[in-house]
Amino acid sequence: MPRRNDIHHILVIGSGPIVIGQACEFDYSGNQAVKTLKEEGYEVSLINPNPATMMTTPGIADHIFLEPLTTDYVEKIFQQVGPDAILSTMGGQTALNLTMELESKGLLEKYGVKVIGASIDSIRKAEDRGAFKEIVSSIGLESAKSTVVHNLEEAKAARREIPLPIIIRPSYTLGGMGGSIANTEEEFLPLVEHALEVSPAHEALLEESLIGWKEFEMEVMRDSKVNAIIVCSIENIDPMGVHTGDSITIAPIQTLSDKQYQRMRNASIDILRAVGVDCGGSNVQFAMQNDTDRMIVIEMNPRVSRSSALASKATGFPIASCSAKLAVGYTLDEVVNEITGQSVSCFEPALDYTAVKVPRFELEKFPLPASALGTQMRSVGEALALGRTALEALNKGIRASERKFEGLVGLDRDKNDVDTLLRCAHPLRLQAAYTVITEQGESCLNEISKVTGFDRFFLSLLVEQADLDNRIRQNLDEELLLQAKQAGMSDKRIAQLAGLSACDVEEMRKKAGLKPSVHFVDTCAGEFNALTPYCYTTYGEEDEGEPLGENAVAIIASGPNRIGQGLEFDTCCTLASFAFRKNGRKTIMINSNPETVSTDFTSSDRLYISALTAEDVIGILEKEHVKDVVVQLGGQTPLNMADELEKWGANIIGTPLSGIDATEDRGLFSALVKKLGLRQPDNRMAGTPGDVFRCSHEVGFPVLLRPSFVLGGRSMFIAYDDAGLAEFFEKSGVTISPQAPVLVDQFLEDAFEYDLDAVSDGQNVYIGGILQHIEAAGIHSGDSASVFPPYKSKPEILEQMKQWALRLAREIPVKGMMNIQFAEKDGKLYIIEVNPRASRTVPFISKASGVNLIECATKVWLGQNLVKQGLVKPGQDIAEGHCITGWAIKEAVFSFDRFVNVDPQLGPEMRSTGEVVGFGRSFGEAYAKSQNGAGNVLPTEGKVIISVNKKDRKTIVPIALALQEMGFQIAATRGTASDLFDQGVLTDVVLKTHDGHPNIVDMIRAHRVALVINTPMGFHSRRSDDEIRSEAMRNKVPYTTTTSAASAAVEAIKYLERKEYIVRELPNKY
Amino acid sequence: MEKGYLLLSDGTCFSGRIFGNPSICCGELVFNTSMTGYSEILTDPSYNGQIVLMTYPLIGNYGVDESWNESCGINATALVVRKLYEGPLPPGRESLQSFMARQGKCGITDVDTRSLTLHIRNYGSQNAVIFPQSMEAEARKVLASFPKITERDLIDGVSVKKETPDPDLGEGFAKCPDADSPRVALVDFGIKKSIIENIYRRGLHVTLLPPSFKASDVLDKGYCLLFLSNGPGDPALLQGAVNEVKTCLGRIPVSGICLGHQIITWALGGRTVKMAFGHHGGNHPVRDLDTGKTFVTSQNHGFMSDRSTLPESVSIWFVNANDGTVEGLYDKSRHVRSVQFHPEASPGPQDGTWIFDSLLEDKA
Repeated sequence: MPRRNDIHHILVIGSGPIVIGQACEFDYSGNQAVKTLKEEGYEVSLINPNPATMMTTPGIADHIFLEPLTTDYVEKIFQQVGPDAILSTMGGQTALNLTMELESKGLLEKYGVKVIGASIDSIRKAEDRGAFKEIVSSIGLESAKSTVVHNLEEAKAARREIPLPIIIRPSYTLGGMGGSIANTEEEFLPLVEHALEVSPAHEALLEESLIGWKEFEMEVMRDSKVNAIIVCSIENIDPMGVHTGDSITIAPIQTLSDKQYQRMRNASIDILRAVGVDCGGSNVQFAMQNDTDRMIVIEMNPRVSRSSALASKATGFPIASCSAKLAVGYTLDEVVNEITGQSVSCFEPALDYTAVKVPRFELEKFPLPASALGTQMRSVGEALALGRTALEALNKGIRASERKFEGLVGLDRDKNDVDTLLRCAHPLRLQAAYTVITEQGESCLNEISKVTGFDRFFLSLLVEQADLDNRIRQNLDEELLLQAKQAGMSDKRIAQLAGLSACDVEEMRKKAGLKPSVHFVDTCAGEFNALTPYCYTTYGEEDEGEPLGENAVAIIASGPNRIGQGLEFDTCCTLASFAFRKNGRKTIMINSNPETVSTDFTSSDRLYISALTAEDVIGILEKEHVKDVVVQLGGQTPLNMADELEKWGANIIGTPLSGIDATEDRGLFSALVKKLGLRQPDNRMAGTPGDVFRCSHEVGFPVLLRPSFVLGGRSMFIAYDDAGLAEFFEKSGVTISPQAPVLVDQFLEDAFEYDLDAVSDGQNVYIGGILQHIEAAGIHSGDSASVFPPYKSKPEILEQMKQWALRLAREIPVKGMMNIQFAEKDGKLYIIEVNPRASRTVPFISKASGVNLIECATKVWLGQNLVKQGLVKPGQDIAEGHCITGWAIKEAVFSFDRFVNVDPQLGPEMRSTGEVVGFGRSFGEAYAKSQNGAGNVLPTEGKVIISVNKKDRKTIVPIALALQEMGFQIAATRGTASDLFDQGVLTDVVLKTHDGHPNIVDMIRAHRVALVINTPMGFHSRRSDDEIRSEAMRNKVPYTTTTSAASAAVEAIKYLERKEYIVRELPNKY
Repeated sequence: MEKGYLLLSDGTCFSGRIFGNPSICCGELVFNTSMTGYSEILTDPSYNGQIVLMTYPLIGNYGVDESWNESCGINATALVVRKLYEGPLPPGRESLQSFMARQGKCGITDVDTRSLTLHIRNYGSQNAVIFPQSMEAEARKVLASFPKITERDLIDGVSVKKETPDPDLGEGFAKCPDADSPRVALVDFGIKKSIIENIYRRGLHVTLLPPSFKASDVLDKGYCLLFLSNGPGDPALLQGAVNEVKTCLGRIPVSGICLGHQIITWALGGRTVKMAFGHHGGNHPVRDLDTGKTFVTSQNHGFMSDRSTLPESVSIWFVNANDGTVEGLYDKSRHVRSVQFHPEASPGPQDGTWIFDSLLEDKA
């Protein structure tokens, strides 16, 4: 069928900020969809407040709105640019929910907007668990025994029908949020209560537990003619009971016979037909009882998802782009397979390799009890590895997840309770199983399978690895070395086992002529010639690749998402690839993260899915005859291997390694600061715990403690006294030695912090922008709301920052991106750190200032200095961008609601998972939107509680007055109230947390507070401050910790009271 | 496992390890892109005389169950895989290795199957020999004198010798209907059990006829339909059967699958040609020209109808959505219908099983 001509202008809804369960896979899918729809000649609008995304880059869509994902703002977009269709299936659960809301408010009808992709009716059927179950049984398939409940009475009744353990799933939440498993009678009702609370519909599904069953997923595409294909089948190595997002998975399915597989395939297609997904991609999840044929349908998602991004990368089939084409009327047999250029998209991909996905957890930031994995997703990212065998892909995948495991390795029994891990759903369970197998051999396989639910097939891979390990320990010869490399083992791991050094193994490998060979991912197992170069490497097989040669440049991306290193860096890498290609250079992208735009094979001239280790990357560079390597854009991951790459002979593009070291090494950095006559907080290097105490006293409390070479402030800590230092050693688990010293910094309490992002050619500096943090120093820059331009600073301080940036850029010398963090206290400027690489804020600053900083850096690398680029006027050395809308405010978004037992306290260690932006002509508008986008609902009425320290008692007065004027009731703690009274502001008095009841916390809990303004009272009241903050966060009450944030809130509330919902279209070109 | 080799007639050689029954195996090498279904493939009589290379690298993962067999044993000459699974299996399953050994068949594992596949894609299917290291000299001799597939009679060993009413398909398959219902004359060129099962399921009786059948065996014998089965080898060699079918045309409805479709092509006045490397897999899209719908099919053929030779009276029913080749024919006036792909699947997607309703629709 030809493309639809009854629609002309399509609004694509993005998924908003990155949270656990909804990450950059939706940037990938949305980006593909927008591109495809534009190619088809439609006018495309886009709404997504996430500034880190590739999809919101100027030039991608016709109209780009970085506005909150609420019906008010979408309605304004309907009015302003007049789309006649809305694509709801590309922005995850957020987009589906928003579409449903637009429908129920009658806005779609009012503005004549058609829903394309999944119809409202099919979304309803798939999402409503009761209705879905009915559909499943109506087509002769089986669901788990279950009942939908709305209150505890219904839950009690249901309990009589369904045996324990029972799975509890709240309706309409993402990534299984609020879901749990009740194993005992005692747990049951409290868990149901929690689920009902988090479900927007106050509805939960109670379900027979299928824990330990095999779990599968089918990625299905269907078109308007009811043609359907399976793009990819996925088997979870972790059995039922672990969220799919947290499971190690493998594609294609490994352990089903053709008869079983076809039954599942038929069931998937039947379900899509019955639910009535008109067209596009969906996924269906199944459970199968071990060693029987009992197959249970778990759920289906009528949209592209995390697993469809994975399936796209695992097979080479671009699900999102194909879905977009189907959504506008094409049928599968009309869409040409982009990879082969010969086959049509009605062709089911045939793999001749396996794809293993390994989730990435942040166990250090969000510690889990041993049994923490369950129906609620906890991982923050994932790595994909391709290999000719399952063991090869598994070893590479574990390595690629960058959790410091060189593939399958045993756990240290002294540090890990292996037997407990084996019995619990835990990220290390597979390794625990491996540990036991290495100790007991193959004979324990059935027993382990019973305990863990791991299928024998997967356990036999572990046996194979254990056997390989043993043989390597005994005698490593060339044949065995080849086997080890074919099993995906790294040189390092082989060396450890053989008692050699990695260099010895590399040497041996070279002597034996063992080099990685390149295979293409072609969707068809070699049946057709692939046009699109999407590659992986393996060993011992014929090489297919023609090297791209020295004209090409390799970009090393950032690997699996983690806190502090995610989408922002991926966007930088993609932008650089585009910029290089625009300027006539070919690019090779190397990455292991399947969720990203950078691993879209159209983003570069050649894409490698590979673990990001020096060995793997060098293998690729050798194959491609490429020397030029970009390491500045992928966060810490590429920098960590830069040394080894240079030793191998790579040409590190831009800032030289010595310059990187000068900023990363604390000692060298202090010397640099001194040499340039700059100022940094007083600091010492401590090589022993004793040193830490001594240095802290020399510097003076409070002190900021940080280990060297970390990203996202991992293990950073602020200590106010000796007891605090002791707590640091106890909690952080940091081992301290002269080789890995801890830096003891003077902590600048209540200072203002700034982020400066710039490009330099070594002589000139172009400052994209300076961001001022709203929160005071001590909160990690990634967790702080930041304002562009600085809203509360003296011009001379800003000027000083620029001058310092110039001095640093020339000295290092920086060629390319640079990020500097400053602090200002009592009119004095301090330099906190310098990162000679792209920072998290680069995509944001680029969009807010209208200058693509990454492209500028790329041009610098290609030899065009900033003057030639016209960014810096000759002789002026320095220039600066400005915010195109007036104000842009970035707010951090957290996923604390996934970790019930984690204290949502902010500090020097980064905890946020994503960010949103608010653009505005006024500060208030920008701040209101940033809060709205982040899901913080600022009130326009109700009670405000104020409790501020002595210093803030003056600045709070106008804020309190303004709030009162706007009709808020004000309550304050005793001291604050009395000072406010003296200034003529009459308030109620409320008790502090330790002054009895009812106090602040009680009132928050009782939902009687609309806003809390609480500035830190100093160290001694830290605990009560923490308590207030935690309670506010749990109850979703907006909370500010600085008077500056409070006055920002006042501005924002003023904007909100006007109910204007202004939407600002960003320019569609850089 | 013993070291062994796979040698192609163009001289290309791949190394590996031999499993099953170590011996010299010679045949035409074809690749199959199905990711599951090795049991069904090995036991499909259409693979008689062919060495099957599985492009999916991990084979044997879920073992073997004899109830999956498409005939009474392995028909493929040999099996080539990247990595044979040798680990533990679900209760009741036999390992692929042991099944092959029991059937006296040989396989080779640890072969660079990707490179081999690309070689066949680029240079076409050709004869090959698999042999254990110790038998190289003999193997080379065998290969050198081995006939091409277009010169081999591969049907004799895999078809019935005499008329066989209502064959019992054994465990795992549907039984012959009890009711007194019409009977299909099914010419067995090496039939898959699943085809018979699909006919049984539609309430019809079946009598298998040998490939040497005469029109007189079919006409006026009370059959409702003449059905030509799948089978191995070159249809051009089967002019005897073609002539008998010609005689039957217009006098009894005629249907066919795969080789049966190719014989019908000849009987209708068309020709078949050999393909470079054929279609072997479970992911081929086929478009129904009557409805415009496309679906995914299971395929296994190295020859095809040459569209340009088809007379005007013949309509094209299905085409391959990838390469446009003919996938099905009908001649309404003479009640003839045939498909090149395998609607019975086994292995592969079952999206085309409805086609049996059409194939069996016209009854005398």
